[in-house]
Amino acid sequence: MPHHWAMVVDVDRCTGCEACVVACHAENNLPTVGEDQAARGRAMHWIRVERYWEGEYPEAKLRFQPVMCQQCEAAPCEPVCPTYASYHTPDGLNAQVYNRCIGTRFCANACPYDVRFFNYFNPVWQKPLHLQLNPDVSVRSVGVMEKCTFCIQRIHAGEEKAKAEKRDLQDGEIKPACVQSCSPMALVFGDRDDPNSEVSRLSRSKRGVKLLGELGTQPNASYLQAND
Amino acid sequence: MKAIYALFPDPGSAQDAFDALRGSSSTTGIDAAKIVVVSSEPFEGYDFSVEDAGKSYMFPLAALGGIAGGGFGYWLASFTQQSYPLNTGGMPIVTSWTNGIIIYELTMLGAILTTLATLLVTAGLPNFKRQLSDPEIWTGKILVGVTDPPEGARAALEEKFRQAGALAVKDFSSTS
Amino acid sequence: MKKSEEQIQKDLLRPLFEASAGYWFAVAAAASLVLAGAGAMFYGFYNGIGVWGLNSPVFWAFDITNFVFWIGISHAGTLISAILRLANAAWRRPVTRCAEAITVFALSIGAIIPISHVGRPWLAFWMFPYPNERGLWPNFRSPLAWDFFAIATYLIGSISFLLLPMIPDFALIRDSTTGFRKKFYGLLSLGWQGTPRQWHRLETAMHVMAIVIIPVAVSVHTIVSWDFAMTPVPMWRSTIFGPYFVCGAIFSGIAALILAMALLRKFLRLEEYLQPMHFSNLGKLLLTFSLLWFYFTFAERLTTWYANEESEMNVFWSGVRGEFAPLFWAMVTLNFLIPVPILAIKRLRTITGTVVASICVVGGMWLERFLIVVPSLSRKYLPYAWGSYRPTWVEMILMASGFGLMALLYLVFSKIVPMIAIWELKVGMQEAHTGGAGEPAMACQASGKSVIGGASS
Repeated sequence: MPHHWAMVVDVDRCTGCEACVVACHAENNLPTVGEDQAARGRAMHWIRVERYWEGEYPEAKLRFQPVMCQQCEAAPCEPVCPTYASYHTPDGLNAQVYNRCIGTRFCANACPYDVRFFNYFNPVWQKPLHLQLNPDVSVRSVGVMEKCTFCIQRIHAGEEKAKAEKRDLQDGEIKPACVQSCSPMALVFGDRDDPNSEVSRLSRSKRGVKLLGELGTQPNASYLQAND
Repeated sequence: MKAIYALFPDPGSAQDAFDALRGSSSTTGIDAAKIVVVSSEPFEGYDFSVEDAGKSYMFPLAALGGIAGGGFGYWLASFTQQSYPLNTGGMPIVTSWTNGIIIYELTMLGAILTTLATLLVTAGLPNFKRQLSDPEIWTGKILVGVTDPPEGARAALEEKFRQAGALAVKDFSSTS
Repeated sequence: MKKSEEQIQKDLLRPLFEASAGYWFAVAAAASLVLAGAGAMFYGFYNGIGVWGLNSPVFWAFDITNFVFWIGISHAGTLISAILRLANAAWRRPVTRCAEAITVFALSIGAIIPISHVGRPWLAFWMFPYPNERGLWPNFRSPLAWDFFAIATYLIGSISFLLLPMIPDFALIRDSTTGFRKKFYGLLSLGWQGTPRQWHRLETAMHVMAIVIIPVAVSVHTIVSWDFAMTPVPMWRSTIFGPYFVCGAIFSGIAALILAMALLRKFLRLEEYLQPMHFSNLGKLLLTFSLLWFYFTFAERLTTWYANEESEMNVFWSGVRGEFAPLFWAMVTLNFLIPVPILAIKRLRTITGTVVASICVVGGMWLERFLIVVPSLSRKYLPYAWGSYRPTWVEMILMASGFGLMALLYLVFSKIVPMIAIWELKVGMQEAHTGGAGEPAMACQASGKSVIGGASS
């Protein structure tokens, strides 16, 4: 049975520690663009934790919202890529093919979540940080778009392991880097087509909402927050 | 190719000469098809213009070219996309609205290219052989002449030219 | 003021044989701008697009602004040549070649930008459908693929539209010169003779092209507008973009044409051919389009404001009274508040008046493109991801070099080809003699001899 990958973000649990951001950087060979480039707005965080203040002191409330690629079923970034570098896989992921990308940046403009990032320069890792690069993930060159892939390398590794061992995948066996490093367990990942998985259970929660759902993008990530 | 021609100051006298030449084919023995008119601007309102121009099929040919272009666009947008192993994860590959845009543009391109081709073929361009012409036409004079006139008709032809009001009568040879 | 045909030829061919010191200075200035632009472009290729001011989320700014701007300017030729040709407006004759030249050059400059602004321009050919073994095929659902087909069609169409009426003029130059020039123009004129058959075919071809090129031009800028309208970005997803952009394109095109004509008139001493009447007529067209532009802008902003949708209103207010307010109000002033009084009042609609209005419009329309692209991208749906944009010197040089390239192409063109179509002017004179365009042949034949015979010298 083909899987349909989805993620659930429990906003009420998120403490804003940003361990997920760091883990993603480490796992996916994300470049650290440097202070100067970050000040220009070119930081590349495939997952970012957005902070929103509500109200005034002393009743001020702080809400954290981790935002990564929603892997939308009706993704606005897919029809607009002239070279099919952005396409939808049968298991529900929006895949970015780095080799096909010529860098028109149309997909990034079309993305309402602003989760797509462009390599404005060739990424550089100062020695000895180059030793920390993940061999399972490619390093993107200048002029190529990139974004969260739900750690597709871990998905493939998990699927191959299960196939080699001639068994089905267990729920919770595949964890993207952000999910693995989340200490309050606010991020949950799994197969939403499996009725017993935690992801499909949480997706049906009454607190569930789709980020910018009114746009009709049909995201594969749900956000759980209490409306108080 | 030899020719005898005359230069006329205005289209009216050129028309007279043309008529005279056509009417005289029995006496001078010239072939009406060998009468040549050359000018530096089109004179659409005159008979010599209409006679020589004949019927043009440019509009229907352009329409046909457009249809061919549209067909090519349809093939390009619809069939090639289905033959390629493209993975779109369930999103439609062949969509009429968007393919319609490609088809529209290639229809227009087909019409344009066909018009260009028709023009070049029917106007006989490019033609770098030495042709009957005279630099005087660029000052507004109109050239009316006969290519390969029969021997002995020269005097009669010259007479007809002068009667119509020719400014000059000259000879032309493509080998000189 | 009746000029003989020899005098017309002399006047219009003079620029091809003479060049003043001022001309060479202008060529040097334009060429250095172009070289600077080439240098800036290769600097960007070598180091990456990071040398521009783009960031996340403003992924398009000056590059796409300039692209839409130049494609817009290229609509000048179509309007003037094709529509006026079909409407049989006699006053178009001295103006058509300038207009068609602007179209071809502006379109060429615009067409470079989609190739050079991508992250990996050396792979831009992947957008072209060629059989390959990489499993690559262009996505025909992408507006950029539509851009490719539309701009290619329009470019081929406008080059033909420009070149076809030049053939008889090349033949004229061929027969008036010797040596290298004779060979060169002999080649270009394709051996044109000037028989009525050839004239008839040429005019029919121009007629067909005029009919075909108008829908192509409308579709080109509509498709360019769909680069924006096909995304869910606030204030981009609007069905008005198609007609809005076409109107804006023709608007900026007429302004560019007026500017080009004014410069040619001054520097090639064509005062007798490009008369105040031509500028006044084009000024009336410019006025019409200024009012139409205002209508579209107002309609788009009224519907946005009325819907009061949160994300759209963020973009709306950033334009009207926020970060982009100075640019927005400058745009309204330059596109509407200044040109309309100048062009509406007959006494002010002189050559100087229309030139002033045109300069304002060209600047205002560039601002309009910028204000469509950048404010919407800087304020999308998630406020945490909002950004801002500031251009770098590389982008400024690239923009200036676009203008330099336009000037250079035009300067070179004016030395190779007579800027006013000589044979078309002669036909115009002929029609004026016989009582206006479209007079039936019978009237000419009856009275032709005396009328024309008397007028020619």
